[in-house]
Amino acid sequence: MARLQSLRDAPGTSREYETVYILRPNTANDGVAEINTKVKGIIEGMGGKILKVDNWGKRRLAYEVAKERKGIYLYWRYLATAGVVEETERNLRMLDLVIRFMTVRLDESVNPEARPTEIDDASYERAATTAADEEDLFLSRGDAAPAGDDDDEYENPVAEAPIGQEN
Amino acid sequence: MSRIEDDLDDKGDDRRGGKGRGGGGGGMNRRKVCRFCAETTTLIDYKNPQLLRSFVTDRGKMVPRRISGSCAKHQRAISTAVRRARMLALLPITVGGE
Repeated sequence: MARLQSLRDAPGTSREYETVYILRPNTANDGVAEINTKVKGIIEGMGGKILKVDNWGKRRLAYEVAKERKGIYLYWRYLATAGVVEETERNLRMLDLVIRFMTVRLDESVNPEARPTEIDDASYERAATTAADEEDLFLSRGDAAPAGDDDDEYENPVAEAPIGQEN
Repeated sequence: MSRIEDDLDDKGDDRRGGKGRGGGGGGMNRRKVCRFCAETTTLIDYKNPQLLRSFVTDRGKMVPRRISGSCAKHQRAISTAVRRARMLALLPITVGGE
C-alpha cells in the first residue's frame, strides 16, 4: 500500500519536521524509553531519518493538561516524507501516557544526505532519563513517595480512595 | 465589582507604559525599533518561552505592535510562535483573575 508521493515534493527529497510530545509527569524512565522506541520504529520504518532526540525534563505546564500540572517534554527533529507524521501522531494519540503532542514542518525539499544527524546510541538513553525536579527531590526526602517502577501503576493511589463519605 | 476594577487597573497600566515609551511627554520622540530587526541573531522560536514572555502581558495576552514596536513581519512570527507555545503549555493561554 504505497502512498502517493505529493507533487509538491521533488523526488528523492524529504521534509524536515520537529515533534514535541508531553508525557505524564509520573512516567518512569522505562515508559519513556518504550514510547521513544515506538516513535523511532515508526519514523525509521517508514524511511525517515532522525536528526535529534532530546528530553527537556519535567517542566511545569502553564495550564492544566489532562488533569496534570507538570509534564515530561520530549523533542524530536527528523527528516521524513508525507505520511510519516500522520502515522506518528496516530500512534501518539492512542498512548495514554502522552497528554499533548505537536508537529511543526521546518523545511521542505531537503536532501536527506546533506543533513548531519546528531544521533548516536547514547542519545536514546539520554532521552529516556528524566532529570528529577525539585519537587521530586523534596518528596523522596519527606514521606517516601511510591516509586513508580511499573509503568502500569502510574495512577495516583490516593485518587482511588472513596470520596464524599463525610455524612 | 472588584473584578471590573482589576481589569481597569490592568488597562491603565498598559496605557501608562505605552505613553512612557512613546514619548508622550514631549521631547522624547524616539522611534521604536523592532527588536528582531535590530539584533538579527535573536530568532523567534516557540521553544523559547522566556523570550516570548516579553511579548505577552501579565495576563497572557499578546502585546500589540504599537506598544512593543515590532515590525509587521516579526509581529507575525511572534504571534505564530506564541500560539505554538500556548499549544504546548509553555505559555499560558490566559491568566485569569480570582
